[in-house]
Amino acid sequence: MLSVNVTKNFVGGFRIEASFDAPPGVTILFGASGSGKTTTLRMIAGLTRPDAGRISIDGRALFDSDGRIDVPIRERRAGYVFQNAALLPHLTARANVEFALRRASRATKRERALALLEKFGVAHAAERRPRAISGGEAQRVALARALASGPQLLLLDEPLSALDEATKLGIIEDLRRANRELQLPVLYVTHSQEEAYALGERAVVYERGRVVATGTPEEVFRSPVRAGVARLAGVENIFDATVEERRAETGTSVVVMKDALTGATCRVEVPLSRHGAGASVRVAVRSGDILLATERPRGISARNVLEAKIVSVEDRGGRVLVRARGGVEWVASLTRQSVAELGLESGRAVWLAFKTHSCSVLED
Amino acid sequence: MRDFDWFPLLLSLRVALISTAVVAVAGVAIGWLLARKRFPGREVIDALITLPLILPPTVLGYYLLVLLGRNSPIGHFVESLTGSPLVFTWRGAVVAAAVGALPLMVKTARASVASVEREYEDAARTLGKTEWQVFARVTLPLASRGLLAGVILSFARALGDFGATLMVAGNIPGRTQTAAVAIYDATQSGRDTRAALLVVILSAVAFTLLYLTNRLTSGRRDG
Repeated sequence: MLSVNVTKNFVGGFRIEASFDAPPGVTILFGASGSGKTTTLRMIAGLTRPDAGRISIDGRALFDSDGRIDVPIRERRAGYVFQNAALLPHLTARANVEFALRRASRATKRERALALLEKFGVAHAAERRPRAISGGEAQRVALARALASGPQLLLLDEPLSALDEATKLGIIEDLRRANRELQLPVLYVTHSQEEAYALGERAVVYERGRVVATGTPEEVFRSPVRAGVARLAGVENIFDATVEERRAETGTSVVVMKDALTGATCRVEVPLSRHGAGASVRVAVRSGDILLATERPRGISARNVLEAKIVSVEDRGGRVLVRARGGVEWVASLTRQSVAELGLESGRAVWLAFKTHSCSVLED
Repeated sequence: MRDFDWFPLLLSLRVALISTAVVAVAGVAIGWLLARKRFPGREVIDALITLPLILPPTVLGYYLLVLLGRNSPIGHFVESLTGSPLVFTWRGAVVAAAVGALPLMVKTARASVASVEREYEDAARTLGKTEWQVFARVTLPLASRGLLAGVILSFARALGDFGATLMVAGNIPGRTQTAAVAIYDATQSGRDTRAALLVVILSAVAFTLLYLTNRLTSGRRDG
């Protein structure tokens, strides 16, 4: 278990306050660029010094400002994979991996390096220099190299951000497989939601230097509690609203959303929050949670059914975004088949339906 | 050609080789310090080391005479150690050539080390390497082209030193007369053929070395 609880101030007033635990398995550090994720990674590795706090692994301190402990980088055994792999350009892929291996005979090192490269599917590139291998291969070699050093934790700084989808998924699969045996805490920095879902057993969400949410990727993205998280998590429908009525007995509130341009309004039932009647709130609904019907739905459990008119239909390759105005402008994402079968097109009248608990009232 | 005196050229070669060896080690160490470490007085040290590049050679020679003379602490110490004084010997010429070449080595070493991306060094540290291993196995090989160019430049500079050498080592034929000094001596005494021959040889060597340096610094960096 890796425990992090550190602060660091920067010139200009930016402050990082990072506090979270990471058990064995993959923990995603998620947030916009500049929110402090990479600096957190660097502080754990010892590349950047925190101002105060404590970092420990299985109870042993790597850094402790109270106990004046600051273990040198080389003794932290924190395997670090940089965004651009940082393979040593003067060494071949194999020599890069051998570089990380502890004392052993030349033959043993060679054998172990090749085995690791094999594990990550890049044995064919063993004798090539970094500039002669692709970005995806470079990251695979970098992962092999990080594991070769015998780490007690792995720190991955957006290692896949520059790669195409297929390459990404392949590497993620290899990483998961490698870690099933090793059971290391793996911290994985990303701003990509897909990577977070594909890889993470846990997510730690950063916003402006602070950890604002922790939980499974499902939890933190499904019911985002903060507008920043909601935006990052790709929640398309975020509206300003006013609480009209608080119904503590049913655990719900009714809010009114008003379109700033047209002045049109709509009423939506949302989960009960601490906000009282008259309070301004923000409400988020994921596009995938909104159902579209061409007739008024009857006998449906969804508490929110809004009449709307389609404004646009955009094919985003695989999923189709339908924008419809029902008070405010909503975005629903559907499959191509649904759009085709229902004959959805611009100007058509539809009904939008979504559950009370598909709505999140955001803290800001 | 039969009676051509090769001594000055051979002496120059010996002086240049020894001073380059010293300058290479010291220059890489100082260049690395200046590029990678922050400490008070960093730029003062850089300026002091660069000074010989722009000072008149006679001024440099004067400083060295004062610093290394038989009555100075350093001169005294060296004499007690080796049994012979530093000034007006070929060893004095080595010191003069080294001080003249050091700025070239330090400047190129500082730039070469600074051009090595820190991420490579950081990567090596996270892989468990000590600071010395990081330097020897990452920084040094990645900066090697620039460093080699610095060494060649230093050698060329040491080979041709005149002013400081003349002040510190003097002009004793067969003892301290280097090629550059011998050219001066030959023109002053009207031995024009000898002067011309030495000039041609020194020019050819200097040109070849500069050409090599350019090839090194303009080529691929990571080849």
